[in-house]
Amino acid sequence: MSASVEARGVRKEYGGLVAVEDLTFAVDRGEILGVLGPNGAGKTTAIRVLTTILAPTRGTFVVAGVPHTRPADIRRQIGVLPESAGYPELQTGEEYVRYHARLFGHSRASARAVAHTLLAEAGLRERGRSPIGSYSRGMRQRLGIARALVNEPQVVVLDEPTLGLDPAGQRQVLALVRRIARERGATVLLSTHLLAEVEETCSRVLILNHGRVAAEGTVAEVSRQAAAPRSARLRVPADAVPDALRILASVRGVRAAEPAEGQPGTLALGFEENQASGPANDALCALADAGVSVLFFELEGARLSDAFLAMTEAA
Amino acid sequence: MAAVEGTARPPAWAVVAGQELRDLWLGGRGLLLSLAFSGLLSVLSYLVATNTALNFLEQRESVNLTLQVAIAVGAMLALLAGADAVSGERERGSLESLLLTPVSRLQLTGGKLLAALSLWVAAYIVTIPYVWFLGRGVGIVGVALATGALVGTLLAVFLVSLGVLVSIFAGSNRVSLSVSLFALLALFAPTQFPTSAQQGWAGDLFLRANPLTAGEHYVGKIVVDGHPWSQDASWLVSPVASAALFAILAAFAGARFMRLSGDVSK
Repeated sequence: MSASVEARGVRKEYGGLVAVEDLTFAVDRGEILGVLGPNGAGKTTAIRVLTTILAPTRGTFVVAGVPHTRPADIRRQIGVLPESAGYPELQTGEEYVRYHARLFGHSRASARAVAHTLLAEAGLRERGRSPIGSYSRGMRQRLGIARALVNEPQVVVLDEPTLGLDPAGQRQVLALVRRIARERGATVLLSTHLLAEVEETCSRVLILNHGRVAAEGTVAEVSRQAAAPRSARLRVPADAVPDALRILASVRGVRAAEPAEGQPGTLALGFEENQASGPANDALCALADAGVSVLFFELEGARLSDAFLAMTEAA
Repeated sequence: MAAVEGTARPPAWAVVAGQELRDLWLGGRGLLLSLAFSGLLSVLSYLVATNTALNFLEQRESVNLTLQVAIAVGAMLALLAGADAVSGERERGSLESLLLTPVSRLQLTGGKLLAALSLWVAAYIVTIPYVWFLGRGVGIVGVALATGALVGTLLAVFLVSLGVLVSIFAGSNRVSLSVSLFALLALFAPTQFPTSAQQGWAGDLFLRANPLTAGEHYVGKIVVDGHPWSQDASWLVSPVASAALFAILAAFAGARFMRLSGDVSK
């Protein structure tokens, strides 16, 4: 196993309930893996197994080159923001990060320096000496991420870091995640429900459903694998609609073209089954060749969110 | 890892204990409990020393009563801190972050146990002036304080370990605190038995087997009856054995079963 994180056939059951079954995937150093799945899909259990909080019932995994049989050594190499992490309300942010740095073996002076650096990196320099009880949810999440970095981890695992945050807070946290992967070269496992942000942030995705891997690969691979583009919406000038419909009807692979709801000139296109982007390209070329301006074009069924819904609803 | 190599660092249990002590004392909880404890001792001392209607106690008995209350309440405070140690962290959502550090669960347990014991130490320190005030002039202050320190520490170690043990397996913090307090009340119950029930070989065995009654009996023999330390040493068997056994059990359970859930099957 040479990947930064590699799991093979990991299974976790509680009593008779199987929470994770045959979890197999690999992610390389510096990559950001989006771990997706509906509620109850087994994301948090999988993360807790990989971070040694729970012992696997079966299977093996390696994190940062350390086999799962050495959990304490794995913990030295990883930084984790648990789901719904709690914080001591009366401690200051600086004190909190310093304490965890010391638990990872830093001396008093080194822990202080690490706390200053990480709080600044997380955008909390000004609030480092305020009690955590006065922090907003977004600040707490960023504090948790700062805490997860005290040991300069090779692998960072973030379980729902954007949960309950407003759009600005989500953007700040995701920017921090991208910086961790880019500047520290750390592998990031990011569990989230924000599919659009996963498309932007993650190089690979792992979709879990009912405890099993429903799909794994790059965002493009998973999107293609689950849902080839089957329809599109486009808009042309309202007076060009009859010409556009006539032209589109003659394009091979275009099953249907008809006016759609929305702004005047909006058309809905249907493609033949199993046809990928070819007919869409042909349709756009045909319109351009005929001098019909295309004001808007969007493929439907090609996004990660479509793939996610297709995979999790079908199962 | 970025830790500075070659720099002398304290063991992890000391780091945990240090932070727990800061949380307990700088957070105000420890000070508040100590203040309430001090108020209780003040009322008790006032009653036994100044109220002529109630002051039927001989001076040694006043010291003994104060010392026994101090041991019982001080150990109870430590028990409550122990009972909150794991289940409280679990309920506040901060346990997972601790379990994700490379610190062994044995060291986490040890650090928390030591910090909880500080409540007994504080209670003992608060008790010193009261014992001095009530016992001055009859030459028992030193021996009373030494006996109180010995027995109180043994019972505090026993009760903190019991609290930590319950806390490790409790499904919630409320359950942990309730079970611990119930266990404490059950241990104190024999002190309220009629004298006849405390006599005979069965009564004697019962008092000796219960670390709380045995410890308090020993304190009484030294402080009130003026016995030498060794004469009633057999009464210390139960407190010593309980302190050692429960400390080992708490350490083992912490190392083996400290988990995100109190349910050991998970």
